[in-house]
Amino acid sequence: MNMMLSSLRSLLSSPRKRGSKPKYLFFALFLILSISSTLVQAEEPILNVYTWSGYLPESVIHQFQQETGIRVNHSTYASNEALYSKLKANPDIGYDIIIPSADFVSRMIKQDLLQPLDKTKLHYLKNLNPTFLNKACDPGNLYSLPYLWNAYGIAVNQKYHNPKTITSWNDLWQSKYKEQLLAIDDTRIFFSMGLVSLGYSENETNPKKLNEVFLKLKDLMNNIKVFNLDAQKSIYIDEDITLGMALNGDIYLAQIENPNLQFIFPKEGFVIALDSLAIPKGAKHSDNAHRFIDFVLQAEVSKQISLETGFSTPNRAAELAMPDNIRNNPFLYPTKEIMKRGKFEIDVGEAARLYEHYFERLKMEH
Amino acid sequence: MNYIKNMNTIRKISYASLIYFFLYAPIFVLIIYSFNNSSYSFLWQGFTLRWYQNLLHNTELQIVAIHSLIIAILAATFATGIGTVAAVNLYRYKFFGKKLLHSLIFILILSPDIVTGISLLVLFSVMKITLGFWTLLLSHITFCIPFVTVIVFSRLIGQDKHLLEAAKDLGATDSVIFRRILIPLLWPSIIAGWLISFTLSLDDVIISFFVTGPEFDILPLKIFSMTRVGVKPEVNALCSVMFGLTLGLVCLYQFAMRNRDRGT
Amino acid sequence: MIPDKTFRALSISSMWLWLMIFALIPSFLLLMTSLLTHGDNELLQLRLTLNNYFSVFNLSYFKVFLRSIMLASSCTVLCLLLAYPFSYILARSEAKYKRILLLLVIIPFWTSSLIRSYAIVAILKTNGIINHFLLWTGIISQPLQLLYTHTATLLGLVYTLLPLMIFPIYSSIEKLDTRFIDAARDLGANKTQVFFKVILPLTFPGILAGSILVFLPAMTLFYIPDLLGGAKTILIGNIIQNQFLAARNWPMGATISIVLTLIMSIVLIFYWRTSPKRQDSFYELH
Repeated sequence: MNMMLSSLRSLLSSPRKRGSKPKYLFFALFLILSISSTLVQAEEPILNVYTWSGYLPESVIHQFQQETGIRVNHSTYASNEALYSKLKANPDIGYDIIIPSADFVSRMIKQDLLQPLDKTKLHYLKNLNPTFLNKACDPGNLYSLPYLWNAYGIAVNQKYHNPKTITSWNDLWQSKYKEQLLAIDDTRIFFSMGLVSLGYSENETNPKKLNEVFLKLKDLMNNIKVFNLDAQKSIYIDEDITLGMALNGDIYLAQIENPNLQFIFPKEGFVIALDSLAIPKGAKHSDNAHRFIDFVLQAEVSKQISLETGFSTPNRAAELAMPDNIRNNPFLYPTKEIMKRGKFEIDVGEAARLYEHYFERLKMEH
Repeated sequence: MNYIKNMNTIRKISYASLIYFFLYAPIFVLIIYSFNNSSYSFLWQGFTLRWYQNLLHNTELQIVAIHSLIIAILAATFATGIGTVAAVNLYRYKFFGKKLLHSLIFILILSPDIVTGISLLVLFSVMKITLGFWTLLLSHITFCIPFVTVIVFSRLIGQDKHLLEAAKDLGATDSVIFRRILIPLLWPSIIAGWLISFTLSLDDVIISFFVTGPEFDILPLKIFSMTRVGVKPEVNALCSVMFGLTLGLVCLYQFAMRNRDRGT
Repeated sequence: MIPDKTFRALSISSMWLWLMIFALIPSFLLLMTSLLTHGDNELLQLRLTLNNYFSVFNLSYFKVFLRSIMLASSCTVLCLLLAYPFSYILARSEAKYKRILLLLVIIPFWTSSLIRSYAIVAILKTNGIINHFLLWTGIISQPLQLLYTHTATLLGLVYTLLPLMIFPIYSSIEKLDTRFIDAARDLGANKTQVFFKVILPLTFPGILAGSILVFLPAMTLFYIPDLLGGAKTILIGNIIQNQFLAARNWPMGATISIVLTLIMSIVLIFYWRTSPKRQDSFYELH
C-alpha cells in the first residue's frame, strides 16, 4: 500500500505543476466516501435479492421497503448457468433470494445449495395455482415456490405467413423457410424443439435418442438465420425475422407495438419455463427472505409483478384479479387443453454435457 | 507550395473527420433513440421525453452509475501507478523472473474474461474475502495493469538511453530519475494508459459479474441484464446523459486549460 | 533521497506483490484446474489427468480456432490501417488541439459498448438507418442484408477495439524526433522512403503494442460478434464460456484457455523474432 501511494504521489506531484495537492485530497476524499458507503450498508436490516433483469419491478421493491422497513439490494444476473457457477464457487456469497428456473432448482436441491422453506412463515401459499405446484423439480415445494412462468413456442408475423398453416414444430423444417428463422440460443431450449418434435421427453438422457435429435436439428440449421438469447421483441417488432421461436410473454408485449404478431403453442407440446423463488444455503437474512416471499405471494403484489414484467403469473388469486383483457389473453393464459401440452424441465445431470457437445457441433459443423 | 500545403491540410482534416464520424455515429443514433416513443422497437415511433422522466426517478440506475464511476476512477489510477512502475522496471532493471513477468502481462491481456473472472472468484473464495467493493476494485486494477504496462513500455523503448546515462553520471539517484525525468517523459503514455484503463473498467461485464457481491452493483451489469429484457430506451437516456456530462466536462477542462496554454 | 538499492527493491517488490497474488496464483489455480476432472455434484474432482489436453486436439476445435484467428487478424489489420494515419494526424497537430482531440477519441467509449453495439444494430437492420437512407435516395430498391453477416461482425469488433490501436501508436508517433525526418530529407530521401525507412521503424513499438492490445482481446471476444453476426457460427470465446457455464466442465474450459495462451505465445515469439530490429533492446541497458 505504501509503495503504491509513493509511486502515486510521485505521479501526481511533479515539482513544476501547480494544483497537485488538491488532486491528492480529491482522491483521498473519494477513497473515504467509498469505504464509508460500504460500511454504512452493513448496519441496516437488509435483504439481498438476485433476480433476472426485468423480473422485479422497482415499484414492488419500494412497496416492500416501505411496508417492512427492510432495505433491498437488488442485483441481476443474465443466465441460470452464471448464477449457478457463482453460487457453487462461493456458497457464502450472501444472496438471500434467487429466482432460478426449474431445471436449476432441481440441480441446486440435489447439490444442497438451497435452504428448505419454513412454510409456517408463509401465509399466502393458498394463492398459488396447483398446476404449477409439486412438480418433479421440487416435489412438495420444500425449497422453492413458483414466481413467474413463460412458454416457448412459435412466433408468426401474419403479414408474411398464415398462422393457421403453422401448428407443429415440424412445420419449421420446411425448405421454404430457408434462412428465415430465429432460434433461441440456449442449449436445452433449442434441443427441446427437436426432442418434442420427435415425441421424446424434454428431459431425455438416452444418448442414442439425443443423437437422433442432433441429426434432425442439423437439418434445421439451414433454415435458421439468427440465434438469439435476448431482445427478441425488437427483432419481431421490426420484422427482421417473421417466423421463429419465442417466449409467449415477449410476443404479448411485442404485439402491442406490432399487431401482426401471433404466438402459437405447438400441438406436440412446448416447454414451460417455471421460475421459482428460493433461498440459498448461505443466506444471512433468512427471516427477511421469508417475509419477502410472503409479500410477493399476495394477490395484489403478484398481479402487479405480472402486469409490469409482461410475464404470466402462477398465482391463481392474482390471475383472477387481472383485468379481463389480460386474463383472457390467449398468449399469456391459454386454455386448459393447451396447458396440458406444457412440459416442465428438470435437471438432466451428466447428460447436460452431451447436450452441450451436440449444440457446439451444430454450430461448428455449420 | 501553399496550394499543396492547403490540400494536405484539407485531406488531413477530412480523414480525421471521417474517423471521428465513424466513432460518433452510434452515439448520435443512441441519443436520438433515447427520445423514441417505443419500448422495444428500434424503429422511430415518435418523440417522447418520458424515458428521461423515468430516469429521474430510477434511483437504482443512478446509484449503480455512481458506483461504476468510483470504481473506474480508482482502478484506473492505481492500475496506472502499478503499470507504470512495472514498465519502468522491465525497461531498466535486470531481475529474477523477468520472463515470467512478461508472460504474466501477456496472459492477463489474452485471458478470456470468463477465465479471469472465475479464477479471481475462486481466489477470493479461498482467501475468504467477502465479495463486494474491494474484490471488484482489486480485480479491475488487475486487468487494467497490463494495458498500461504495454502502452508505457512501448514509449520507453527507443528512448534515448544516453539521457538516462547522463543523469546518472551527474549523480541522480534512481528515484530522482524516475520522478524528474521518466515520468514527465512518459506523461502522454501514462495519460493514455489511464484513459484506456478508465474506459475498460467502466465497461467490464463478465469479470465484474463474478467478483462483485450483493451490496455493490455496477452499471455495465445492470445494462447487460436490461438488454435481456430488450434494451429499454431508459438505458439510452442514461448513456446520453453520461455522454453529455463527460463532453461538457471535457469542454470545460479545455476552456480552463486554454488560458494556461496561452501563457506558455 | 531514497537510496538506489531501496528504490529498486521497492519498485520491483510492489509490482511483484500485486501480480503474484492477483495474476500468478489465479494462473496457477487455472493450471491445476485443467489437470483435474469434472464432477457431477461437485465442480471438480481431485483426480489428476491429462485427458483434457488430449480431447482438445480434434479437428472441430481446430477449425473454430482458425476461424477466430482469421477474424482477429482481419480486425487487427483493419484497425492498423484506420488508426495509423489518424494517430499521425493527431500527433502532428498543433499542441493546443492535441489534448482535446485525443479526449474526443475516447469519450464515446465511456458509454457502454453494449449499448453502442445495439446502436450499430439499429443502423444496420433491414429497416434500419442505412437501408432507410439508401431506399429513400433511390440507390437501391430492396433493403440490403447488412446485419447478421461476417462484415457486421468485423465492423463491430473494429469499432470496439479501435482506441486500443490509436493510443499506443499516437504515443509512439508523438515522441518521434522530427530531426530524423529532416535529416533523411536532407540526404535526398523522397516521401515514401522517409516513411518506410525512418518513420515506420521508429514507430514500430507503438504498432506492435497496438496490435497486441487489439489482437489478443479480439481472439476471445464473442458477445459483440454474436450480437452482430447472428451467433450461427462459434468462436473460441464461445466454446470456453460454454465449457465453464453450460457444460459445467471447468477443467475443459481451463485447458482450452491454456492451450490458446500457449499457441498465442508461440505466434508472438515468432512475430518478435522476425520483426525489424528495434532501436534499443532493453536487455542492452544494464
